[in-house]
Amino acid sequence: MEADELLVLVAGGDQKAFEELYGLVSGPVFGLVRRVVRDPAQSEEVAQEVLLELWRSAARFDPGRGSALSWILTLAHRRAVDRVRSARAAVDREQREARRAHHPAFDQVTEEVEAGLEREWVRRCLDRLTALQRQSVTLAYYDGYTYREVAERLSLPLGTVKTRMRDGLTQLRKCLGGVA
Amino acid sequence: MSLPARLLGRGDLHSLAAPYALDALEPAERVRFEKHLKNCDRCAAEVRALSEDAVRLAWSTAAPPPAAMRDRVLAAVRATPQESGPVVREHAPQLPPHVWGTQPPPARSRAPRERRPFFVPFATATAAAALVVASLFAVQANQTQDKLDAERAQAREIAHVLAAPDARATTYKDTQGRSMGAIASASEGQAIVTLSGYGAPAGGRVHQLWLMRPNAQPRSLGLFQRGDTPLVATDLSKSATSLAVTVEPAGGSRQPTSQPIVQLALKSVGFGE
Repeated sequence: MEADELLVLVAGGDQKAFEELYGLVSGPVFGLVRRVVRDPAQSEEVAQEVLLELWRSAARFDPGRGSALSWILTLAHRRAVDRVRSARAAVDREQREARRAHHPAFDQVTEEVEAGLEREWVRRCLDRLTALQRQSVTLAYYDGYTYREVAERLSLPLGTVKTRMRDGLTQLRKCLGGVA
Repeated sequence: MSLPARLLGRGDLHSLAAPYALDALEPAERVRFEKHLKNCDRCAAEVRALSEDAVRLAWSTAAPPPAAMRDRVLAAVRATPQESGPVVREHAPQLPPHVWGTQPPPARSRAPRERRPFFVPFATATAAAALVVASLFAVQANQTQDKLDAERAQAREIAHVLAAPDARATTYKDTQGRSMGAIASASEGQAIVTLSGYGAPAGGRVHQLWLMRPNAQPRSLGLFQRGDTPLVATDLSKSATSLAVTVEPAGGSRQPTSQPIVQLALKSVGFGE
């Protein structure tokens, strides 16, 4: 059964359906959360919270607004980003400023992302973006930075970063085409 | 938010669609943009498309979760009510409208469960709606608030036990399909305990939970409130060997007055040392 049908059954209180849904989505959810949060113990905690939230709130899924997997991964991403930001806020601000001033972390970030990607086609499509498009998108999505932080790290004006993010996502869509 | 950002007009809000889809807005901006989204169909459509693009970045990161996570999540699912008022009210505002939708949840495919007649149909109720509900049912508003507070506190306790690194789950199921389950953390000395299929005892009697220890009297861990609402047990000693449930007169007893109807060993969840 597909995630969309399962989620409807889960909304009706079907625990067997939830077990099946867990089998389908726990890998994508955990992998995404770990990519953003990095720390293994915290990643597990966030992933658990997300999966439990699926159970509690399944009735809120609206099939008219997109696929179940998108809904689930959007939720997982939001929770992961929230966690990594509150952890980051605890890091000594001064230390951060100093590190930021030294190197905008261009190549390092790109390398990390590419090493973590398991599927060739996403990497290929990311490679086709310009460096600034790719960095703007990946620093935000995989590392949980706000667009203001991305602008600081890349020493770019805010407007430029917003445009690069949009162009980057649009290019990805074109490159990935109908692959689903 | 910086001064220039505050002075920016409506036109510039559109440019936040991509950062929003990537979850790259600061909280205040996120709220402002979501307000704007509600009145801008074009933006909502654009955000949906960009969000689908962003999600494609997630597909390539899949990784198998630790095996123990499955047991913990599935046990938590058995102990966690769906769409309970407080939990939804806590989480809903943080979630983007394109994810949750602005409409109330669709009608359930099954009848709402008996134990939660007040909360199920009003999962998305605002505070104002909750007051209307309270008056409709001739329930005093503060009583409803007490219930909400109690459920919210319980949701927090459940999350706390679940987050313990040594949280483990165990269940017992009898041949008639009735079951008792627990998610327990020996380090925290806490457990979430559920009963399922036992129904409410007749004649106003109650299900009481006991902690069984070697060479000691059973210690009461509390009464199960309504049907299969989970019970959060605290101060569990490491020497505990099992949890037991008995049927007791209304209000509970100081010591069990009958044989347990079900008992759950705690060895597999790190107790009994």
